[in-house]
Amino acid sequence: MSNFTIPVGPLNVALEEPMYFKVDVHGETVSHVDIHAGHVHRGIEYLVTKRNVFQNLVLTERICSLCSNSHPQAYAMAIEQIAGLTVPPRAEYMRVIADEIKRVASHLFNVGVLAHLVGFESLFMQVMEVREMMQDVKESMFGNRMDLGAHVIGGVRFDINDESIEYLRAQLDRIAPAVAEITHIYNTNGSILGRTRGIGVLSHADAVDCSVVGPVARASGINYDVRVKAPYSAYDRLEVPVHVLPDGDVWSRAMIRLQEVATAIDILRQCLADLPGGPTSCTAERPSIPVGEAIGKCEAPRGELIYYVRMTDSPKPERVKWRVPSFMNWDALTFMMKGAKIADIAIIVNSIDPCISCTER
Amino acid sequence: MSILPDNIETRLMVAAPSGIQFSTTTNSKGVSCGWCSLASKDDLLPCAALMKSIGARLSTITILQPKAPSAPPPKEGETAVLPTFFGGITSNGKTFEIDYHFDIDGDTLTLVVHVLYGGNIQSLTPLFRCADWPEREMMELYSVVVSGHPDPRRLFIDPGIENAVLERLIPFSTLVNSATTKGLWEKILANKGSQS
Repeated sequence: MSNFTIPVGPLNVALEEPMYFKVDVHGETVSHVDIHAGHVHRGIEYLVTKRNVFQNLVLTERICSLCSNSHPQAYAMAIEQIAGLTVPPRAEYMRVIADEIKRVASHLFNVGVLAHLVGFESLFMQVMEVREMMQDVKESMFGNRMDLGAHVIGGVRFDINDESIEYLRAQLDRIAPAVAEITHIYNTNGSILGRTRGIGVLSHADAVDCSVVGPVARASGINYDVRVKAPYSAYDRLEVPVHVLPDGDVWSRAMIRLQEVATAIDILRQCLADLPGGPTSCTAERPSIPVGEAIGKCEAPRGELIYYVRMTDSPKPERVKWRVPSFMNWDALTFMMKGAKIADIAIIVNSIDPCISCTER
Repeated sequence: MSILPDNIETRLMVAAPSGIQFSTTTNSKGVSCGWCSLASKDDLLPCAALMKSIGARLSTITILQPKAPSAPPPKEGETAVLPTFFGGITSNGKTFEIDYHFDIDGDTLTLVVHVLYGGNIQSLTPLFRCADWPEREMMELYSVVVSGHPDPRRLFIDPGIENAVLERLIPFSTLVNSATTKGLWEKILANKGSQS
């Protein structure tokens, strides 16, 4: 058998976002992967230093569409720490609500695309239909299907009344059994199992070595979830089980996401049951932000998102640095793809739930 | 919920003989955040090795050029004394500050080093595989040299572009290579025509 180097991407590897893989193959087996990034680099880290603290809340939400809620959340957390602001309890619960709604939609999207890549189109449509119910929730509650615009410095921008609580409860009651049905299919269907079990394995040791985060880490047996390890918002008052699987294959990563969808629905119900009254923001006016530096961390759908903010005497930050979960997970692909078949490349790439506009900023 | 190891400051002091400046804060939810400035960048590797030994994960690396603090003009006959960072490196607006953010089971510890403009810093890749991409990104954003990096290629920015992009102003038209749609250009020309 001969050795070849084949280009995979940059377009349409698994999603529309561009990433270029130079794959060395021996026959049909992958022997080495070289990742070339930078196709959607926009220099947002430079742009944030040219806008003031409050404008950046809007800008960070636009870094990525699927985790658009997590960026302003981590950024606001860092700013609130610098300014010594305490987010009121109701706003903390509201932040969790926005976060978990996004998590359900994001995870279902990834699991749906997996079905599409396997060639199981009817399942893809079934998953996307369930996700659409969550999209309806976003549109009804926030007025937008992707960017929720939920955050302000010191609280949230939205409030919910009894009517929207009832609506959200009813939607959750429709989504929960549908997710259980989908999970059952991913657990038992031969087509899914045949294409995902034992494929793209990332061992626990390699996962630690690559410092992967989020569902990718938890599917390789790393018990780490920011919501539990470094609680923020109202997560310290909610029951948040962390799902961990030992095998580290494509199937495990999909199962972790499906289990987390079920957990997210449960967390949403807990929030609605415990929702305290009171203000949704700690200040009606724009707070003044003193000199200082801080770190904000949250669990985005893809894993740990960390923001570092440095404020000097200017209203514009001197530096904002963030590291998105996907940034850490790319490297793990070199381990996952070693020895894989060419036909599985797209499935493996999709299994890290890659977010390229996040990675390259 | 986790707490930084109690003796972390003492252990860092042993690992960094040139001296450290250490502080921690703990928020209302019990999450701690530690900051450790190193007097000498040569102490970075031993401190990172200590982090590795306590099971820390390298979360990310921030690099910036902190602005020099505004100082009153020197009196006649005196020479201006430039302020310095901890460790004695001049704060002239060009010195690099590199922050290594480590995650210790939920808590964060940041090692801060300062590197003179034109200087270099040791790569952390022998200890932390995941330092690879952040260090490559560091090298394309600023002119700092990371010595011992196994793969110092560009990460995001095209090799055709001069490096250290965050050290200079790049006009937007240059950034996008003056590329714009024909439709926009025709609209501008049409508007111009109607005014003249």
